[in-house]
Amino acid sequence: MDIYCTQLGMLVKFSYCISMNDNLPCRNILGCWKQRVDIISILREKYSDEELRKVFSAPPKTRIERIIESIKKETSS
Amino acid sequence: MIRRINLDAKDIPKQWYNIQADLPNPIPPPLNPGTGQPITPDMLEAIWPMSVIEQEVSSERWIDIPEEVLEKYLIWRPSPLHRAYFLEKFLGTPARIYFKNEGFSPPGSHKPNTAIAQAYFNKVAGIKRLTTETGAGQWGSALSFACSQFGLECKVYMVRISYNQKPYRRILMETWGANCVPSPSPDTNSGKKFLEQDPEHPGSLGIAISEAIEDCVTSKDSKYSIGSVASHVLLHQTVVGLEAHKQIQMANEYPDIVIGCAGGGSNFAGLCLPFVRDKIGGKKLQVIACEPASCPTMTKGPYTYDFGDTAETTPLFPMHSLGHKFVPAPIHAGGLRYHGMAPIISRLIVDNFIEARAYGQLETFAAGITFARTEGFIPAPETNHAIACVIEEAKKAKEEGKEKVILMNWSGHGIIDLAAYDAYLSGKLEDYVLPDDDIAKLIKDLEKFPKPS
Repeated sequence: MDIYCTQLGMLVKFSYCISMNDNLPCRNILGCWKQRVDIISILREKYSDEELRKVFSAPPKTRIERIIESIKKETSS
Repeated sequence: MIRRINLDAKDIPKQWYNIQADLPNPIPPPLNPGTGQPITPDMLEAIWPMSVIEQEVSSERWIDIPEEVLEKYLIWRPSPLHRAYFLEKFLGTPARIYFKNEGFSPPGSHKPNTAIAQAYFNKVAGIKRLTTETGAGQWGSALSFACSQFGLECKVYMVRISYNQKPYRRILMETWGANCVPSPSPDTNSGKKFLEQDPEHPGSLGIAISEAIEDCVTSKDSKYSIGSVASHVLLHQTVVGLEAHKQIQMANEYPDIVIGCAGGGSNFAGLCLPFVRDKIGGKKLQVIACEPASCPTMTKGPYTYDFGDTAETTPLFPMHSLGHKFVPAPIHAGGLRYHGMAPIISRLIVDNFIEARAYGQLETFAAGITFARTEGFIPAPETNHAIACVIEEAKKAKEEGKEKVILMNWSGHGIIDLAAYDAYLSGKLEDYVLPDDDIAKLIKDLEKFPKPS
């Protein structure tokens, strides 16, 4: 199964969406796949509640937020 | 019949326009979530030269474009303003449609307007190399081109799966002399960590950003370059609107409606801000920002401070936002994927100088196909949002029998991103609109956060 990825501007396989985030799903997977598969059931079968919370309890970060976060990480280490 | 309006090289704008000087309500600075205080320039100094930071916070109305930048702009600027006569004829509209062709640049989009400027300011600050990340490859291409013009090294971290499957973007960057590597890479600690887990890790935009920042902060004579969202990026893009302002006058016209697509806001701001200045001064016109219906940041999100994560460790930015729990549905445009909009654009929406509209995925591609089959040029997928709005307004003018003048930013061509059209033409794309109930729940989640005054 392929889908057009919003971030990469290209078709990607379901296997990418479900594991690209450090072996956890992309946080956009619900919106992208909900009309095509029972994505909630698949996620619940594959991942623990804790793993799902790790992905979906955080918000999508803006580019600036990611940058500032990375600067803080690098300059404090 | 005027089909194309060219501006002489001698008439290219010599200054960028900074709308921060004219905003009735200034934009609040980004805040550090730890202290609640504004982020200080010294934090940004790690990634940008001081001249760029000064532009980021400047309230000067006009900022000189250095001669060296103008020389490079003249490679493709001033870009043509076209009358979309065949599109008008196809629609049977009395509206007169003009589009500013930013696909005219070497990389094929508006992106080099700021890439050239950023490369120059880094060069004069003694910087030897720039780092950046790229997902779809559009920004990486533009910065590679710009660095080649100023003899800077350029290191682009391109998401590995994109690197492997989009060879033409990578080849563009390498042709301009950039070092484009697949991310995660063995060149950074953060990249190594992911490669240890999986030597064939496909990567993600987040990993690529981390690598580009780490490289910048830990390497000698290096800085980082960004292609959207930031205020200095929007500033550099105003060369588009300043040219268009002159060109539309050459046609003895003035727009009733100015339209652009808005992801991070840079191409939209580039065209519209000089016209928004007129509007602030009392001129009557509509300015419309177009976004995907699947990711309705501007049309349905409130203006509020939005914590970056539940641990509340990332800065607070005043932006249109759908809140923590928002999960974007599928969208198709490489540049239209941000959770938030540029703060300047958000402010102008709140103050009613700009209106926002959302368009569905299939509608935008249908509009892009119509444009390609009438005007000939194949638009970038994100540009199709603006075209959908143009067509909507042109049809409305027909219904009302009004001869409106419509001006659009044609932000780039889609020749290197034809896979998006292939997906559309083969029926692989689908529309999704976030239901109002879901939007209301997400907005409620933001109620506990302070709103900007």
